[in-house]
Amino acid sequence: MAAVETREKVSALAEKYKYGFVTDIEMERAPKGLSEDTVRYISAKKGEPDWMLAWRLSAFRRWVEMREPNWARVHYPKIDYQDAYYYAAPKNTPAKQSLDEVDPKLLETYNKLGIPLSEQMLLAGVAVDAVFDSVSVATTFKAKLNEAGVIFCPISEAIRDHPDLVRKYLGTVVPVTDNFFSTLNSAVFSDGTFVFVPKGVRCPMELSTYFRINASETGQFERTLIIADEGSYVSYLEGCTAPKRDENQLHAAVVELVALDGAEIKYSTVQNWYPGDEEGKGGIYNFVTKRGDCRGRDSKISWTQVETGSAITWKYPSCILRGDNSVGEFYSIAIANHYQQADTGTKMIHLGRNTRSRIVSKGISAGRAQNTYRGLVSVHPKAANARNHTQCDSLLIGKQCGAHTVPYIESRNPSARIEHEATTSKIAEDQLFYCLQRGINPEEAVALIVNGFCKEVLQQLPMEFAVEAQKLVGISLEGSVG
Amino acid sequence: MNVALDARRLKAAEEFRAAGVPHRRMEAWKYSDLRPLIDAEQVASAPAAQWSIEAEGVELFDPAAGEGAFAGIMGEASLAFATATLGLRVKAAGRVRIAFATPGQARLRIVLDDGARLDYVESAPGGGLQNIGTEIVLGRGARMTHARLAQRAGGARIGDVSVTVAEGGCYRLHCADFGSDLSRLELDIKLRGIGAQAHLSGTSVLAQGLHADVTTHVDHAAGDTCSTQLFKLVAADKARAVYQGRITVRQGADGSDSRQTAKGLLLAERAEIDLKPELEIFADEVKCAHGAAVGDLDADSLFYLRSRGIADDEARALLIRAFLAEPLDEVEDEAMRAALWAAIEDALPGAMGQP
Amino acid sequence: MLEIKDLHAAVDGKEILKGLSLTVNAGEVHAIMGPNGSGKSTLSYVLAGRAGYKITSGSIRYRGEDLAALAPEERAAKGIFLAMQYPVEIPGVTTLTFLKTALNAQRRARGESELDAMGVLKRVRARASELKVSEEMLKRALNVGFSGGEKKRLEILQMALFEPRLAILDETDSGLDIDALKLVAEGVNALRAPERAMLVITHYQRLLQYIVPDRVHVLSAGRIVREGGPELAHELEAKGYEDIVRSAA
Ligand SMILES: Nc1ncnc2c1ncn2[C@@H]1O[C@H](COP(=O)(O)OP(=O)(O)OP(=O)(O)O)[C@@H](O)[C@H]1O
Ligand SMILES: [Mg+2]
Repeated sequence: MAAVETREKVSALAEKYKYGFVTDIEMERAPKGLSEDTVRYISAKKGEPDWMLAWRLSAFRRWVEMREPNWARVHYPKIDYQDAYYYAAPKNTPAKQSLDEVDPKLLETYNKLGIPLSEQMLLAGVAVDAVFDSVSVATTFKAKLNEAGVIFCPISEAIRDHPDLVRKYLGTVVPVTDNFFSTLNSAVFSDGTFVFVPKGVRCPMELSTYFRINASETGQFERTLIIADEGSYVSYLEGCTAPKRDENQLHAAVVELVALDGAEIKYSTVQNWYPGDEEGKGGIYNFVTKRGDCRGRDSKISWTQVETGSAITWKYPSCILRGDNSVGEFYSIAIANHYQQADTGTKMIHLGRNTRSRIVSKGISAGRAQNTYRGLVSVHPKAANARNHTQCDSLLIGKQCGAHTVPYIESRNPSARIEHEATTSKIAEDQLFYCLQRGINPEEAVALIVNGFCKEVLQQLPMEFAVEAQKLVGISLEGSVG
Repeated sequence: MNVALDARRLKAAEEFRAAGVPHRRMEAWKYSDLRPLIDAEQVASAPAAQWSIEAEGVELFDPAAGEGAFAGIMGEASLAFATATLGLRVKAAGRVRIAFATPGQARLRIVLDDGARLDYVESAPGGGLQNIGTEIVLGRGARMTHARLAQRAGGARIGDVSVTVAEGGCYRLHCADFGSDLSRLELDIKLRGIGAQAHLSGTSVLAQGLHADVTTHVDHAAGDTCSTQLFKLVAADKARAVYQGRITVRQGADGSDSRQTAKGLLLAERAEIDLKPELEIFADEVKCAHGAAVGDLDADSLFYLRSRGIADDEARALLIRAFLAEPLDEVEDEAMRAALWAAIEDALPGAMGQP
Repeated sequence: MLEIKDLHAAVDGKEILKGLSLTVNAGEVHAIMGPNGSGKSTLSYVLAGRAGYKITSGSIRYRGEDLAALAPEERAAKGIFLAMQYPVEIPGVTTLTFLKTALNAQRRARGESELDAMGVLKRVRARASELKVSEEMLKRALNVGFSGGEKKRLEILQMALFEPRLAILDETDSGLDIDALKLVAEGVNALRAPERAMLVITHYQRLLQYIVPDRVHVLSAGRIVREGGPELAHELEAKGYEDIVRSAA
């Protein structure tokens, strides 16, 4: 029957991985393996100051003593941390480049990725800091941002040019020893993005970084630090793709956000790292620590993520609601197909008074995938009048996948109010039939219904991303009707 | 005597000793830390629990046979170390009232034959270390109503209940916990046969520094199984009320329907409520939902009542009763329901910060 | 246009249609009446090809083609439209988006060019104002929170938009106020054409005053037990089903 076919077709939706190509560029690598020497090598390559090296080394020394976490609902063979490269950079990259100087092959790669680094970009008003493996190679819009006083640069550059800012904030949201993967990142991070938005400034454009893992057997360890000073606003977009490879690659990024009084940071991610093939071979291990600190009063941090890629996702973008009246949001779509495993969610830590948080999570499981929402809402004794609302919906497509919900709710203030709702279902047969009866084919019908299911989250994305996200979700919202 | 069981007990003892007394770094015991209260040796050497029992329509038997199932690690300890054991078999219709009189450890096995019915009321007053492991087996079409009253007490009180329900069987539980230094009821319910059902409800009303943790796991292992969980918690003073509820729907358990509601009423600055509702779903033809909420008494309702001339304390008591009414309505036995309400009335002044 | 012969159909293994025969020619409007549970909606679902509705014997030919071989969306593209007794809500999917997706899917299947957003909007607007479907409703999620009557009006709007060859209206009149009933009837009558046929399922003679049928059939326990002209509807209204059903049994 038609309804049965649908399942297969739907499962096919996420599998069309169009970013699976490798760019053939000569790479410069650190020797394989991980030791203090590796850490020194990376730091030296980056020409870092002593304090940075010391910071990395202390992280490394802690990491050696830490154990890999095993509480998430993900299963993977033991990672041999000595069997990977921790630094890879395209050769012949002088420190500064204009767009014209960039290796045409790289630009071609970006074009294939659909990153509009050219004129479309200007029209879209998006500044891109493209990270190619470990070294940032092209940055646009510097001038306009400079005018506004916004710093938007590779973090390696920030360490050199803005050491005071980096020292003041780096590791203050995600402490060096926070967890196994973040500590590893602290030791070996090779590049990433730094953003500073000064007092009262509304960043004049959306900032965007595309990450891409290219070199084989290379772990990628970006470090992102975004600081929004008092009364400022910034919207940051992050997109990720990686080529197809048989072996699994580790990606352990750390993102730290700091919002001071009255500041707002909107952080959007569309993650479609290579998920592995239909048999579950290959794919990225995406073990990421993302945390935002609403340090100031009336501040706001909003995470939106569309997670469709990676063989394994381990990711909990969180908010520490420290400042009174601060607001944290987490909007998530996680799609897992074939043998993908996703364990993702958020933590909302209410410390200040009148803090509010909102969580909307939409999980879709297909094939043999396992998709877990894991979330914590914690209200501390001083967080009077804290409010949280959580909605967690799971959709199952097929009989061999799993959808799991693991929320922790901890309240220690009587004036706080926390509400959590979760549902699990499959696509309703009557909805499907209604669409078919109106002539829509099953694949399109499912895309339409899933689109509707995810609507609340998709709406949160900036327009430029929403389109890509909708395509990724397997949805046609073509045109502007509606 | 029974070789298989002896081996099972030895293994249980070994496993318990390896794991040790449960503590908050164990995921299942995150909100209940036994370590400060007892050590493994005290568990292993706990005296035999004593009880008084009133029973009709049941046969007593030596429970030294059977599977030795348990819900959690303390249930495993009861299997390993309990010297007091009791087996109850119901062939048609039974009625049991059991009260555990002293602290200590016990192991019970309750078997309902196909089509049998049992009305079971348990009171677990606690004091010292009380660890009661109960294994319940429901045959086809068997029905059991289980009411458990855990009075306000001191010490560590643990109830560990493992239930399997065969085709068409139905297990109903209502538990009322008024807290102890540490009080925990852990349930593992396997809906093994088609159409099996489990309906769990409970209330915890806590004051002072008391603690009560209800942890349930309902495992839908067969098709068309149905479960509901409805728990209401009230925490005042420095009390801590916990509900953890996991629902599993196994692959192939199509047509399963599961609904869970857990609500907490937090009445004081230093009280705490922790909820962990959890869904683990491996089948797509299912209806599963859970809802959880924590808050204070609704200010609008309070104001409304006061505007009608009802004094603050009375209005609060009224609203707390209204909050608790829903799970209590699940209790079918009227005498039991009245007894539970009476216990709640006793606890209310304390829960409202009155001496 | 439609030729049903000795149709037996089952839902969840339970036989509901038990030897139903019915012929509808192009240009005709047929009414189907019958007690609750007699199988009217089942017939409409079988015609539309809903999963789980199994033809156990007999045949349905539509414009010379065996209907059973076609998927629901193929039937739709070939002009079969079912206005459902209980229109379905699809959260998050804007009504207009849905209409555009469906219209273009049908056009694509027929080898016609797809319409752009403006093209769709123009067509929808023209019909929407006739049926008093507001712009605001079109922006809301499909059927979500619509009143019973609003849902029915939206079904007729879709019928007008898709211009089907065979329209099946399953109790489109129930839940409508008098003005809406007239609107719907006008919408249906406007679509009456020599190349079109309609199957109107209803409990009430009132609708048939506005949409005068060529034939009236009475369905009972999965079979047609009586046929007649428009006057049969009056008779049923006066006497109820009991006599007919009993004499058929
Ligand atoms: N999934 C099902 N399983 C078993 N019986 C079903 C199922 N679906 C429908 N039926 C039964 O089939 C019979 C016909 O139902 P149907 O909906 O076609 O009636 P109807 O003539 O449209 O009634 P109404 O006038 O109330 O709309 C009813 O007895 C109904 O209960
Ligand atoms: Mg009907």
